[in-house]
Amino acid sequence: MATVKLTNVKKVYGKDTVAVQDFNLDIADKEFIVFVGPSGCGKSTTLRMIAGLEDISAGTVEIDGVVVNDLQPRDRDIAMVFQNYALYPHLTVFENMAFSLRLKKVPQDVVYEKVTQAAEILGITEYLMRKPRALSGGQRQRVAIGRAMVRDSKVFLMDEPLSNLDAKLRNQMRAEIILLRQKIDTTFIYVTHDQTEAMTLGDRIVIMKDGFVQQVGTPTEVFDMPDNLFVAEFIGAPKMNTFKTQLVYEDGKYYVTPYGAKIEVTGAKAEMLKARGITSREIVLGIRPEHFVLSSEGDSAAIPCKITVNEMMGSELHLHGVEENGDKLIVRIPTISLTDEQRSSLTFGSYIYVTCEGKVMHFFDPETEKNLLT
Amino acid sequence: MKKTDNKAIKKTGLGAKASRRIDNTVVYIVLILISLIWLFPLFGLILESFKVEYQGQTGYLWPQQFGFDNYIRLFKETDFFKWFINTGIMGVCTAVLQTIFVLSMSYVLSRLRFKGRKGLMNAMLVLGMFPGFLTMILIYKVFSDLGLVLEMAPVGLIIVYCASSGMGYYVSKGFFDTIPKSLDEAARVDGATRFQVFYKVIMPLAKPIVIYTILMGFMAPWGDFMLASYLIHQNSAGMNVAVGMFEWLSKTMVNSHYTMFCAAGVVVAIPVTTVFLCLQKYYVEGVTGGAVKG
Repeated sequence: MATVKLTNVKKVYGKDTVAVQDFNLDIADKEFIVFVGPSGCGKSTTLRMIAGLEDISAGTVEIDGVVVNDLQPRDRDIAMVFQNYALYPHLTVFENMAFSLRLKKVPQDVVYEKVTQAAEILGITEYLMRKPRALSGGQRQRVAIGRAMVRDSKVFLMDEPLSNLDAKLRNQMRAEIILLRQKIDTTFIYVTHDQTEAMTLGDRIVIMKDGFVQQVGTPTEVFDMPDNLFVAEFIGAPKMNTFKTQLVYEDGKYYVTPYGAKIEVTGAKAEMLKARGITSREIVLGIRPEHFVLSSEGDSAAIPCKITVNEMMGSELHLHGVEENGDKLIVRIPTISLTDEQRSSLTFGSYIYVTCEGKVMHFFDPETEKNLLT
Repeated sequence: MKKTDNKAIKKTGLGAKASRRIDNTVVYIVLILISLIWLFPLFGLILESFKVEYQGQTGYLWPQQFGFDNYIRLFKETDFFKWFINTGIMGVCTAVLQTIFVLSMSYVLSRLRFKGRKGLMNAMLVLGMFPGFLTMILIYKVFSDLGLVLEMAPVGLIIVYCASSGMGYYVSKGFFDTIPKSLDEAARVDGATRFQVFYKVIMPLAKPIVIYTILMGFMAPWGDFMLASYLIHQNSAGMNVAVGMFEWLSKTMVNSHYTMFCAAGVVVAIPVTTVFLCLQKYYVEGVTGGAVKG
């Protein structure tokens, strides 16, 4: 349990390869923070700097108010779970988990108690006497988590712990990490490239790109009010549709005009536009696939498009379409809302008309790619 | 096209079996011949060592009379036992020290990143290309000043064998490179110092290479003749087996010592062979299985 504070943290490899730039973050006690971003964005490097496995080129990292820049990993009181598990292959599961306690010369009975307790929580008691090579991927990952658990450390670091597991196991382990978090009750920093993991696990999410922090916020904040186009497209699956179009201010009302359609901006979004004194201008319009609704040919607010790919996901239908100019868009429709007739008509090559409600649109500056409303 | 088809059909049928058998027979005959050629000197040595009727060189191989006379004389009438012990001490000391030097060097070069690392590695590579005996005269000069020759030669020899051993880091560094770095990192986060990482995590995983390094460290002094003969000169108290036994092949002694020389050869081979046989199972790879994703 501890707070973690990163101030202007920077990492430079060699002479001029900048991996992390000006990273500032205050992590509260017992908070679950997720660093997310595409590969090479600097999220793992940041985590490794907190762990002490990478030198910090500039700035400071504080754990519980103490600057740890020059402390060895073993003096930082942290626990870490690695992407490839990093279990000691020559030791049994028990000894793997007991390794840190043995180094600290903890009495045997305490070691036994802690290890068996952690094993029980993780459901790996029956494998305690096995070597890692005799375990499956999921079991190994549990052992790796167990090894970190017995430490009772101030901060729990996880570096893409689920990315080596298959999809089904990953979902299961993700749920288990949520449960585990309630049991361990410490400060977590979790690195992933998977936005679903980030959204489901994190109290707050740090979205990174090219070494820069793009946005820090709760899952709802980053989903509803992305700071820029990158965050908007990165969070949410399938990704947000974006169109270069015109924002029109007419008679006190705002309209967007993608591909000839004219959709009125309503609700809070319209008020925010007004409050910021925005008038007619060029924008990048963002609409999430699930915010599209099917419309009909005569509707002036409908964008016509031709279906190129039809993905039946079970509970929902993902339609990839091309609009007249060749721009692509993705529409996500819950299957429950479709009639049988509609369902059979939504096939390759057929035309659909989609529109969306005015209150769920996002507006970005085409130049700076910043959200116009934040 | 049709021809190849026919061939393919033939190979899958009975013909394939027969041709495989012929191939194997040829391979085995060649291999057996090579092993016979290779084993012949060894058998010759053993047979000679049991020859009782004449102690010099004879024109035939098979002894007319078998016996242990040569072995008994070896220990009773010569300083062989003393040489054997000398060599043993040198072998063990060198093996231990050299293993420590080589493995620490390799680990450091494999894991730590420091200024001049590349330059150091290149320099050692180049230095290693010079034959060791180029330095022999200089070594003799320095060691004779230090008093590490003649009966003190074993100490001097141990120093020479170990001194530059760190330069032979290539094989073990290569092995360490295959052990995932995340194991080191996990151990360091778990609270281990660099040294604890080395002996608690890396050493147990590097068993094959540790054994290899020990064996190599033992073998070099065990069979060394050239450098040893320089430092020992003709002082019997400081001799190792190779230098000691060499005298027996001189013109004046060969006729009375040849079979004993062969017996000594057999005795010298025994420890090395035993060590190799005992440790060869550790050469088995795969100890890192299960360490990381698999």
